[in-house]
Amino acid sequence: MNDKNAGFREVDHTADLEIEIWGESLEALFKQAALGMNKLLEIRWKPDQEALPVRQFAVEAIDEEGLLVSFLSELLYLLEEEGLAGKVFAITVAEDQLQAEVSCGRVESFSRDIKAVTYHRLNIRRRDGRLEANLVFDI
Amino acid sequence: MVEIRDLEQINDFEWEIPVSYRNDMRVPVRIIASRELIKDINKDKSLEQAVNTACLPGLVGRVVVMPDMHQGYGFPIGGVAATRYPEGVVSPGAIGYDINCGVRLLRTDLAYEEAQPYLDKLASALNRLCPSGVGQGGHLNLSRAEVESVCRDGSRWALKEGYAEQDDLDRTEESGRLEGADPMEVSQRALDRGRDQVGTLGSGNHFIEIDHVEKIFHPEAARAMGLQEGNLVLQIHCGSRGFGHQVCTDYVKDFQSAVHRYGIELPDRELVCAPMDSREGKSYLAAMRCAANYAFANRQVLTHYARRAFEQVLAGEVDDWHLHQVYDVAHNMGKIEKHRVDGEEIEVCVHRKGATRSFGPGAEDLPEVYKDLGQPVLVPGSMGTASWVLLGTEESMERSFGSSCHGAGRTMSRSQAKREVWGEDLRDELERSGIAVRAGSMAGLAEEAPLAYKDVHEVVDTVADSGIAEKVAVLRPLAVIKG
Repeated sequence: MNDKNAGFREVDHTADLEIEIWGESLEALFKQAALGMNKLLEIRWKPDQEALPVRQFAVEAIDEEGLLVSFLSELLYLLEEEGLAGKVFAITVAEDQLQAEVSCGRVESFSRDIKAVTYHRLNIRRRDGRLEANLVFDI
Repeated sequence: MVEIRDLEQINDFEWEIPVSYRNDMRVPVRIIASRELIKDINKDKSLEQAVNTACLPGLVGRVVVMPDMHQGYGFPIGGVAATRYPEGVVSPGAIGYDINCGVRLLRTDLAYEEAQPYLDKLASALNRLCPSGVGQGGHLNLSRAEVESVCRDGSRWALKEGYAEQDDLDRTEESGRLEGADPMEVSQRALDRGRDQVGTLGSGNHFIEIDHVEKIFHPEAARAMGLQEGNLVLQIHCGSRGFGHQVCTDYVKDFQSAVHRYGIELPDRELVCAPMDSREGKSYLAAMRCAANYAFANRQVLTHYARRAFEQVLAGEVDDWHLHQVYDVAHNMGKIEKHRVDGEEIEVCVHRKGATRSFGPGAEDLPEVYKDLGQPVLVPGSMGTASWVLLGTEESMERSFGSSCHGAGRTMSRSQAKREVWGEDLRDELERSGIAVRAGSMAGLAEEAPLAYKDVHEVVDTVADSGIAEKVAVLRPLAVIKG
């Protein structure tokens, strides 16, 4: 859900897809990025969504922006390989490492093929007590 | 934002952003555009992206952008940049995630009128036999060792496995196989993603299209290509699928730290790069060539399926239906080539992202049949409009590192296109105009609506009038298959 403290919205881009994300913490920001990506993918969930499968993974990167790209890239891989997409996220960020425990929904189908999460103009900004960033996806 | 007043007009079709525009530029940016197209330069951020690209270390000559340019990520779509080999840099983001995305043109000797009663069945057979769509795997499920063979051998692997004819390879850029591909430089994840995607179209702007040759402008070149007015042809547009996307993702991440090791400062992190003679640069080039070979094999296996579709529908009904290869050429690639820069012939890595190689007459790597003419350049237009077959020229060697345009070029975002067009309405309109449509997603169809693109004829007129390509033939669509 979008509110002043956490959310995402799509921004027009000529050829690819762009979202603006915001959150009160890095963890909240990353969660909004994942939810925003799910929206862009136009996921249709399988009816049976009880007993959500849980996946754990860790990524490393040189900075927060790198962690964000790597985190989302892991989720894209999970979608392609296992047909799962994140619904509930427990994320811990410490320096150059991110640990994620993701409760996933089973995906019936998705309408958009995101080739990659890019670093294009990616910069996590701190403004008015919250974190913001713009993410461009290659499709 | 780059404004028209920042441009120096060189001639009727060339404009330049001088290095004085921004103090981190290493070379100027040359824009190939008509007066009409240049008016729209502020519609998106493509020129700002071209200026950022002009900051890469080791660039020579100038960054060139084609008339179909539009905003991408890091490097603009329609961009060409050459770096001195081996000390200059290679930038994965300046080649793109869909490594060796490209176009293949096949032709028949079958007249459109004779084929007309079978077109709907042909569209259905192509749709059934050529796997397409979001997240779709294909008919093949290769072992890890077989994926490695695809990486090393490209179309040659397809020939060995019975998916190609020798003539297909003879009429493919680099004979469908780049030297120097090393699967050891590719991640296990990329190899895994590649196992079931050889012979798949994917989605987005990728397509298979049946066209007829509407008009020939260069009879000698058309003869060499086997193109005759009124005859049926087939285009295949796709790339290296999840395999190539993963290769680029891996190396863009890896290079985030490499730029610090080599003291490279850049205005955009998506342009991260490493010297070609560094460990990182050599690894990427070897992996990128694997993805390029994967894409050649992918288009080759799709060709095999397309031939089966034609055989199933047309054998015994009409003659001359066999699909013969005209050419296959990449428009997202990094290649080590020799070019003349400031009067001196040097080796460079030409990054082409949404730009087609367009070598002129006499260039190395051209098949014998095209040696004296120049290389066929394949320019698909927006869906339902028209596509072009062009020839590379001497002037393209001199002015654009042997490169030309790659399509019509988007002008409108996907969400805007969907706000303006319903996929179902567009499909009905295309069907009414005699174009059979098979599409996996109506929303995806709407995103590719012609109104979201520039006029391909204006783009082609610009490259032809500027001298970097010659017109050979224009093609009109009869059936479109999209994921």
